[in-house]
Amino acid sequence: MSEAKNRILLIEDEEDIVEALKMRLEGNGYEVIPALDGTDGLNKARTTAPDLIILDIMLPKLDGYKIARMLKFDEKFSMIPILMLTAKVQPADAQKGKEAGADSYMTKPFKADELLTEIKRLIVK
Amino acid sequence: MGAENELQLVRDIKDQFIWAVWCRYVVAAVGLALFLSSVLTAGGAFYGLGLVGFVGVYNLVANLIYLFNRKINLWEIVLARTLFQVLDIFCVTFLIYITGWLESPYWFLYLVLIILAGFGVFSSFSVWPVFLIALFSTIFYLGLLVFTYLGWLPVYGPGFTLTSQQLLASIANKAVFTTISFFLLASTVYYFSKLLSQHREELLRNNRQLQAALEELKEVDRLKDEFVTTASHELRTPLSVIRENISLIGDGLTGEINEKQKKLLETSLASVDRLNNMLNSLLDISKLESRAVELKRHQTDLGALALKAIELLKELAEKRNISVVSRLEPGALTWVDSGHIFRVFTNLIDNAVKYTARNGRVTVTVEKAGDAVRCSVEDDGIGIAEKDLSLVFKRFVRLSNAGEMASGSGLGLSICKAIVEMHGGRIWVESKLGLGSRFVFELPKGLPE
Repeated sequence: MSEAKNRILLIEDEEDIVEALKMRLEGNGYEVIPALDGTDGLNKARTTAPDLIILDIMLPKLDGYKIARMLKFDEKFSMIPILMLTAKVQPADAQKGKEAGADSYMTKPFKADELLTEIKRLIVK
Repeated sequence: MGAENELQLVRDIKDQFIWAVWCRYVVAAVGLALFLSSVLTAGGAFYGLGLVGFVGVYNLVANLIYLFNRKINLWEIVLARTLFQVLDIFCVTFLIYITGWLESPYWFLYLVLIILAGFGVFSSFSVWPVFLIALFSTIFYLGLLVFTYLGWLPVYGPGFTLTSQQLLASIANKAVFTTISFFLLASTVYYFSKLLSQHREELLRNNRQLQAALEELKEVDRLKDEFVTTASHELRTPLSVIRENISLIGDGLTGEINEKQKKLLETSLASVDRLNNMLNSLLDISKLESRAVELKRHQTDLGALALKAIELLKELAEKRNISVVSRLEPGALTWVDSGHIFRVFTNLIDNAVKYTARNGRVTVTVEKAGDAVRCSVEDDGIGIAEKDLSLVFKRFVRLSNAGEMASGSGLGLSICKAIVEMHGGRIWVESKLGLGSRFVFELPKGLPE
């Protein structure tokens, strides 16, 4: 384990969730970069070199599926693991998320410990 | 009349037209056979051959019209039908002419044609030609009588023994009698055909209304589905915030909390999770009941599936010190969506474990039963009162004696019912208050048609 903190890009438009998740993740030793809309999220994914992206699906300007596809299509960024965290619970949505390139798919409301376990798993991988 | 209906009407009359064409071929064939036999026995009957040939030829034309004129209007097909019936009348008249004129036995064929014209009952519009047929029958027959009497046509067939005066009287008699009977018959046929066609139109109209109502219902159902999906989705985001904030406080990330506070937060968290489960179940039942779920059927051993479900719930059962016994017949194969049926097993076993007192026993059975496989989950728990038996599969029904044990979404059994019925099976419950309950479901072995 390196001394530097792992950096997580959190693309989520709901500010209350961003606040709560930020507290949770920072409390567990991660550095959190929030992005409140799709285009901002995509830009930050390309410029801040995060170790993991937590991605909502329904975002203003650019939806999560598109962001995932654009990143996974680009060799420079395809290595960054993407964890989709969304209120869309239908199996078809999860399937669509996986097809867009998400490494993991979790639904809201999430359980913090499960989310942390999944984050750890994805970053180690 | 809508375009759709007119198209249907054209199709129906066309079908009848084709049917008449085939009938004429049969008549021509019979005529030909009669002619040949008369050639072999008595000789002659030259006109008969001509008549058969003529019927064959104009019938062929009818075939051609059908072949070339694919897109046909309503009035065109009614006109064509009437035209060919007029030709039929001509043939009958000719037949009468060559088989004895006034004394020919084939006079009844006019009546047959008038009745047949009434058969084309597809709408009020196609009934009126029956009078046209009666009119033409009268004209042709009277024409034949007059022409022959005046000597414009040579008399063919047996000679007459009547005097000219008697002949005239006979012709006059026949003319009046014929005209009256033709039009009387046509009126009767018209009346009944019209009655039939009105009934038919009414039926069609009712059908259309029912169809429209069905479409409307489907649309309402779709909207309801959409509403449930959107609502459950919209509720999830605030629920996430509540859940995460509670758990942040509970996990001590915002500072120390005491035991009492911790306990309260844990109950809140459990309630949030229950709310979330209800949302999921609500979404599921809505999808299942509107048949918006597609079944992925594979051949599945239900015994193995039951075992997997028992395995999953073993911990819960052990916690309550309940023994789960299984009686699984091997090779109980069915074509089912194993994910869904697995859910039925887990729901039923979970219920049984919850409603059974400590140290109780739950029995899971899978057995073949003719064309079906019967599965049951039996407990020796509190049981269900007889008056409640019909309610258990209803949504959000909480039975009177469930008490504190009830903690589910209230939708579990409704979901089971929807899943089983979607597979073409049935589910029911047998129970005695205080002695336990037995939930049974049967699934057909084969694939549905």
